[in-house]
Amino acid sequence: MRFSRRTLLAVGGAALAVPALAYGQSAALRQKKLVVFILRGGMDGLAVVAPVGDPDYPRVRGRLATQSPLPLDAMFALHPRAPTLHALYGAGELLPIHACATGYRERSHFDAQNVLETGAAAPFARDSGWLNAALATLPRGAGGVALNAQAPLILRGDAPASTWSPSVLAAPNDDLMTRLMDLYDARDPALAEALRGAQSANAIAGDGAMSGGRGRGVEAAAALARVAGNFLTEPNGPVAAVIELGGWDTHANQAPEQGPLARALAALDASIAALRDALGPSWGETVVAIVTEFGRTAAPNGNGGTDHGAAAAAFLAGGATAGGRVLADWPGLSQRALHEGRDLRPTTDLRAVLKGVLSAHWRVSDRALATSVFPDSAGVAAIEGLVRT
Amino acid sequence: MPDMVGAAIAANRFGFGARPGELRAISRDPRNWVKAQFAAAAPLPAPVAALPPGEDDVLAFGRWLAARRMRNGGGDAMMRRAEREGVDDEDLRALSVEDDFIRTFRARGVAAIDARLMAAVLSETPARERAVHFWSNHFTVSALKPAAVALPPSFEREAIRPHVAGSFAAMLRASTQHPGMLVYLDNWLSIGPNAPAARMPRLRNRPNRPTGLNENLAREILELHTLGVGGGYAQADVQALAAILTGWTLERPPLAMIVGDQPGRRPASALFRFLSAAHEPGAHALLGRSYAQAGAAQGERALDDLAAHPATARFIATKLARHYIADDPPPAATARIAQAFARSNGDLRTTMEAVVECEETWAEPFQKFKRPEEYAISALRAANVRELPAGAGALAVGAMGQRIYAAPGPDGWSDRAEAWLSADLVWKRVEFAQTFAARLARADIDPAAIGEAALGPLLSDETRRAVVRAESPAQGLAILFAAPEFQRR
Repeated sequence: MRFSRRTLLAVGGAALAVPALAYGQSAALRQKKLVVFILRGGMDGLAVVAPVGDPDYPRVRGRLATQSPLPLDAMFALHPRAPTLHALYGAGELLPIHACATGYRERSHFDAQNVLETGAAAPFARDSGWLNAALATLPRGAGGVALNAQAPLILRGDAPASTWSPSVLAAPNDDLMTRLMDLYDARDPALAEALRGAQSANAIAGDGAMSGGRGRGVEAAAALARVAGNFLTEPNGPVAAVIELGGWDTHANQAPEQGPLARALAALDASIAALRDALGPSWGETVVAIVTEFGRTAAPNGNGGTDHGAAAAAFLAGGATAGGRVLADWPGLSQRALHEGRDLRPTTDLRAVLKGVLSAHWRVSDRALATSVFPDSAGVAAIEGLVRT
Repeated sequence: MPDMVGAAIAANRFGFGARPGELRAISRDPRNWVKAQFAAAAPLPAPVAALPPGEDDVLAFGRWLAARRMRNGGGDAMMRRAEREGVDDEDLRALSVEDDFIRTFRARGVAAIDARLMAAVLSETPARERAVHFWSNHFTVSALKPAAVALPPSFEREAIRPHVAGSFAAMLRASTQHPGMLVYLDNWLSIGPNAPAARMPRLRNRPNRPTGLNENLAREILELHTLGVGGGYAQADVQALAAILTGWTLERPPLAMIVGDQPGRRPASALFRFLSAAHEPGAHALLGRSYAQAGAAQGERALDDLAAHPATARFIATKLARHYIADDPPPAATARIAQAFARSNGDLRTTMEAVVECEETWAEPFQKFKRPEEYAISALRAANVRELPAGAGALAVGAMGQRIYAAPGPDGWSDRAEAWLSADLVWKRVEFAQTFAARLARADIDPAAIGEAALGPLLSDETRRAVVRAESPAQGLAILFAAPEFQRR
C-alpha cells in the first residue's frame, strides 16, 4: 500500500511547513521584522547599563561598581563587554530602557518568565504568548520562528509558529538522504515533503550554523542569531524570531573579566552583531527587543553576585529603532528609593515599551494590545516614538 | 490460524512495537494479547521499583528551596523557622546553593527517565505500559514547573500505574490527592477566603502570600481531566470545585528532615493532608448539586460524581480513540468507547476492551505518527536492546522535541501530530535513526530480518528492497528505522 497524504496525516498544516517558506504576507508588512531575545535568569540591569552618574551608585554597588564603562550619556554607561551594543548606540540604533519590569513583583524565575512570555498580568494565566497574539493580528499567514526544538511560550498560539534547532546528533549523510528520499517519494509523500522542507530550511540556516549552533557560549549564540537572520530575510519568510539566551542568573562572583555576566553579555553582543550582518539591508526594517524576567538586587550579596530583584534594563535595537538615547524615569538608588529596600524600583512597564513597538512597527491596534496581546492591560499606555516609521 | 497482520497492528498500536519473536506469539490471538494485559495484576517494572521513594523527591526540592530562600532575602524567615522547629541554624547555613537547581535535579530526573524508558523497552506487557504513558499524559504533571520538578515520576508510579486497569474514579482521586498534582496545579497554595487560616496574622501579614482561592487545579480537573472543554460547566462551577478542594495539601517536611541526610522512605502519596484550617467552610454547589461540608469527603464525593458524568465518558473516549485509532477518530468508535466507559462506571479494563473491539483500530494501519518517545522505544525493542547508557534515552527523545516528564502545559503532549510534528523534527528523527543504527550495527546483523521481526507483513516491499540494497548493515538499519511504516503506527 502506498501511504496517501490524506489517510495518514494532515501534514499540510503550518506545523510541518518550513519556517522560511510558510508564510505569504502583504508586501508592506513583509519587511517589518521583530526579533525577541529572551535573557533567561534575570539580567543585572545595574551592571549592564550602569547608572554611573547616580550619587548613590558607588556606595550601593560597592565592589560591583564598574571599572571601565562605555559611556552612554551623563547618567548611564554600558558594560565594557558590549562593544557592538555601544556602537549601535552611537549610530542611533540602540535604545536602552532602564528601571523597567513586567507587572510581576515576586522573585521566582519561572513565574516571572511565564509573565514575560504570556504578557498576562499574573503567572500561568494562559498557555499562549504575546508575540504569537501580536502575529495573529497581522495579515493571514504571518508567522514566527523559534530557534529551539520546541516553540517557547511567547510564540505559542494560533498564529503560525515554526521551530528550528541545531542538531545534537550528526546530520544524515548524503547517501542515506538520497535513499530515504526515494523511499519516501515512493511510499509517503507527506514525509517526503517534510524532509525536503527540513533540507531547504537547513540550507537557508547555513552550514556553519549546523555545527556551530550547538551548545553554549559566544560562538553558538552568534550562530543561532545568524540562522534567525537568514530565515527572516528569506522571501515569504517569517516576520518574527525568538532567541533564548541563558546564563544571566549571576548569584556569585559576577564581576570578573571572565565571570558569568561577562560571558553571557559577550554572547548577547556577538548575537546582535551576527543578526545585523545576516539581516543585511533588512536590519533597517528590524526592531530587536531584548528582555529579561526581572532585575537583581542593587547591592552585591555575600558571594560577589546579586540575587533576584525587581526592575531591570531592557533594550530595543535595530535600524528601525529610534535609539541613541536612554529611556528611563530614573528612581534613584537611595535606600528609600529602592523597592522593598533592596531592588531597583520599576518605573517603566515593559508592556508599555512592547506596546509602543507593536503599535508603531506592526500597526497592532490599541484594542488588541490591551486584550489579546497583553490581557487586562488597558491601563498601560503604549510609549510613543520608540520606532522609526 | 496465526494472524500476523493483526499481530503487527497490535504490537504497534497498543504496545511499543515488537521485540524479536514477539509477533509470532501475538499472532495466535492479537486482540486477546492486548486484553489479557489488563486482566491480570501487574508488578511494578523493576527499573521503576528501583527509584527512590517519592518522599525523597519531595525532600530534595525542600532542600533546594530552603537553600534558595537563605540566599534570596528569605533567610530571616528561615532562621525563625529553625528556631521554632529546634534546628541548628548552622545546619541551615550549610545547605549549598552551589548545587543549583539544574544540578540538583538533573541526576534524579535522568534516572527516572531511564527507568521509564527501560520499563517500556523491556516490558512483557507493553500494552499496559502504553496505557501508563497515556494516562500519565492525560493527568500531566510537568517538571517544567519548578516546584513540581522532582514529582512526575512518583506521581506516575503512585497515582497512575495502580489504576490503568482499574477505576477511573480511583485514578482521578489518586491524581488529585498526589503531591505532584497538588503542587503542579497550585492547590497546596489555595486557602478558603473564610477559612480560619485566611485570618491567621502570620499569613495575612506576609506580602505575596496566598490568602485566597487558587482555581488552577479545579479548572483543569473540569477542563482536562474529566468533563473537557464544552463539558457544560461554568465559572461558578470552577470556583465551587476550588472551594471544595481547599485544604487539600501535602504534609510539609520538617526542617530537620530537610537539613538532615536521611532519605525519605514513604511514597509521596502518603504526604497528602486535608488541612481543615485552610478549607472553605460550608456547602458548595457544583453542576447543580450541593456538597455538604464533610472534610476531605466533600471533595472525594465531588470527584466521584465528575468521574461518573456523561461528559467525562465522552471526553475520555475521544482522547482514547485519538490516541489509539486516529488523530481525527471515527465518531462511531468514540461513541462505543464512551458507552463502555459509562456502562462500566469508568472501569478502564472494560473501556480498553472496547477500544480493542473497535474494527476501525484494525482496519487501517499507520494512521498515527509515533510520538518521539514511542518511536525511540520501538526502535530499541526492535533491535533487542536490553540496556542503555545513563541519560542516552533522555537525550535522544529530547532531541526529537519532546522531553520526557516535561510537557509544556497541563494538557500534556497532543495526540494530534500536526500540533507537534514539524519538518525540523522529522529531520531530527532521521538523525536519530542514523545515529542509533550506527551504534548497533555489527557485521553480523541482518537489518531486513530485524524489519521482518518488528513489522511482519506490514514491512513494505519498497522498504525491504531499500534495506537489503543498503551499502552497509548500519545504513540498512537506519533506513528501516526511518521508513514510513516504522515511524507510524
